Amino acid sequence: MIVAKQKPIAEIKEMLRPYQKVLILGCGTCVKTCFAGGEDEVATLGAALRLAFGREGRHIKTEELTVERQCEDAFIQEAVPAVARNEAVLSLACGAGVQAMARRFGKTILLPGVNTTFIGVLEKPGLFTEECSGCGDCELDTFGGICPVTRCSKRLMNGPCGGSKNGKCEVSPDIDCAWQLIIDRLTALGQQDNLKRYIPAKDWRPSLSGGPRRLLREDHVV
Amino acid sequence: MKSAGQSKFKSILAAGGFAVTAECGPPRGANAEIIHRKGELLKGCVDAVNVTDNQTAVVRMSSLAACLHLLELGIEPVMQMVTRDRNRIALQSDILGAYSLGIRNILCLSGDHQSLGSQPEASNVFDIDSLNLLHAVRVMRDEGKDMSGFALNSAPAMFIGAAANPFADPLAYRVVRLAKKISAGADFIQTQCVYNLPRFKEWMRLAREEGLTERVYIMAGITPLKSARMAQFMATKVAGMDVPEGVIKRLSGVTGPAALEEGLKIALETIAELRTIPGVRGIHIMAIEAEERVSELVQAAGLLPRPVK
Amino acid sequence: MSSKFEPKIHVFYCVNAFAQGVFSPPDAENAAFVKSIKMPCSSMIKDVFILKAFECGSDGVVVIGCPSGKCKRVDGNMRAAKRVAWVQKLLDEIGLSGKRLVYTVGDETDAATTLLLKQLAELGPNPFKPVEQANPK
Repeated sequence: MIVAKQKPIAEIKEMLRPYQKVLILGCGTCVKTCFAGGEDEVATLGAALRLAFGREGRHIKTEELTVERQCEDAFIQEAVPAVARNEAVLSLACGAGVQAMARRFGKTILLPGVNTTFIGVLEKPGLFTEECSGCGDCELDTFGGICPVTRCSKRLMNGPCGGSKNGKCEVSPDIDCAWQLIIDRLTALGQQDNLKRYIPAKDWRPSLSGGPRRLLREDHVV
Repeated sequence: MKSAGQSKFKSILAAGGFAVTAECGPPRGANAEIIHRKGELLKGCVDAVNVTDNQTAVVRMSSLAACLHLLELGIEPVMQMVTRDRNRIALQSDILGAYSLGIRNILCLSGDHQSLGSQPEASNVFDIDSLNLLHAVRVMRDEGKDMSGFALNSAPAMFIGAAANPFADPLAYRVVRLAKKISAGADFIQTQCVYNLPRFKEWMRLAREEGLTERVYIMAGITPLKSARMAQFMATKVAGMDVPEGVIKRLSGVTGPAALEEGLKIALETIAELRTIPGVRGIHIMAIEAEERVSELVQAAGLLPRPVK
Repeated sequence: MSSKFEPKIHVFYCVNAFAQGVFSPPDAENAAFVKSIKMPCSSMIKDVFILKAFECGSDGVVVIGCPSGKCKRVDGNMRAAKRVAWVQKLLDEIGLSGKRLVYTVGDETDAATTLLLKQLAELGPNPFKPVEQANPK
């Protein structure tokens, strides 16, 4: 899923300062799963913002609504009346959702309420970790299912580097050395010979480095 | 400035000699005087001087520029290049530029992550890794082609090096990694500094078994310790460092000049041992911000005078 | 402060936290326990309920759960405690002060409310004044 984290109250307040009537729009998919922007978070944030402004003597009018997915126009359409009633929309969707909203609502002020961070998994309750950076050319078969592009801080194709210490990355003791994980996993799979293979320089064209990407499925164009 | 020719460092090794190299960190500023001063301290006591590339991810005078300053003093530089800050286009470009200026030796590294340095807010590059870089330089030299396959008007005949760490885990994999670096293009290897001789000897034994010492010149790293505190720090805070208890003990209980003496003694004992290990073709002295100790060490180890080409 | 401050306190309590399943406000001269809300488990507490209490003009909120290891739903009391900690931080960010909110277990309710009252005496009334809230949904 896409993982995001709500922006600090102070930062959101600053963005909302010019507006009296705000729609807080949640998304029921990725950001709901990581507790950043689902219905519950919309309700909590609404109350928090009313309190935060209220204690300054300012009463902001908030409307709360959550749609299934903000990245799909069919669902965004449901928000049309609510958007019309308000001066600005504080979207708790990921960056894609906010931009989908911008595509449909050309004259609406759209404010991002969360910081979109990564594509990740729920490693254990409450802990989300980054797994995939969308390089566009997956080589997980070579690396035993562990991605060196994303999980190695230096994106090494022929790792590890000299900074790996006790299975941890030099950047932080919270980060596992991806190459240690790869070595361990390939060994467990009996594929340690993969480690002898020289992996050539990666072609970054299929990644964001090559420019923002598009996927056109002709078979689905009607 | 020294005229273009082959790498003197390479010639010494090719002729069967025991080589000595040292390290030099460029200044955090534009003052060439500082590099000149360091150069003067090292001149004549080593065969080549490694110049670091924004080491520890801290902005310093560029390795390329500092190498040129050393060349002007008649010193042979080894230009270190990390893949952290520049993409393949810039790296290849710098190799061509360096060669055109008379630089003949390259050491290919990944580099410390920028989050550990002075400007952690910078994005990193890591377009290619150190093995890709080794390969690229080798192809440029032996085939005269850049990474796109374009035929260069002149091939940079660089002497190519890589770093190796016999003290990181797992030991067996470290030898696999060494083999990979050699296959990718390494002509010489400089290792992490040696304090644990038994472990180092074991690594060398495995390397010999794989026939790797026939294919690459291995230079063992040496860093003279200054105090028990320094030894403790390196043992606990520096990744991939192996400092045995015995070494720390020798330095505990002595301070000041006595500790420096003991540190030097340990280094000299280590060098003497290293010279007996088949496959060890030289030493690489990393005396960080203590370049003045290098000549003292090299002299006491009986390695002076250095061959003059 | 000109007039004597009588804090209004909301209490959310788990029915299993008390012997008779009922929360009785402790004797306190200068406190008005405006509302006590019972829950079948303290884990029924949600962040937004606490914030709504403050929106209704509450000066302080107490959340009461069962002692560690005694939750009938195994770990509901732990979840409630964590949620309260989260909202305390949020209240600090809002500028209301997390000290207006406490979590306690049944036996320690008196001590917790005494502490809360002491903190409220220092903090003063909730600076937020409730106003008619338009919420079409």
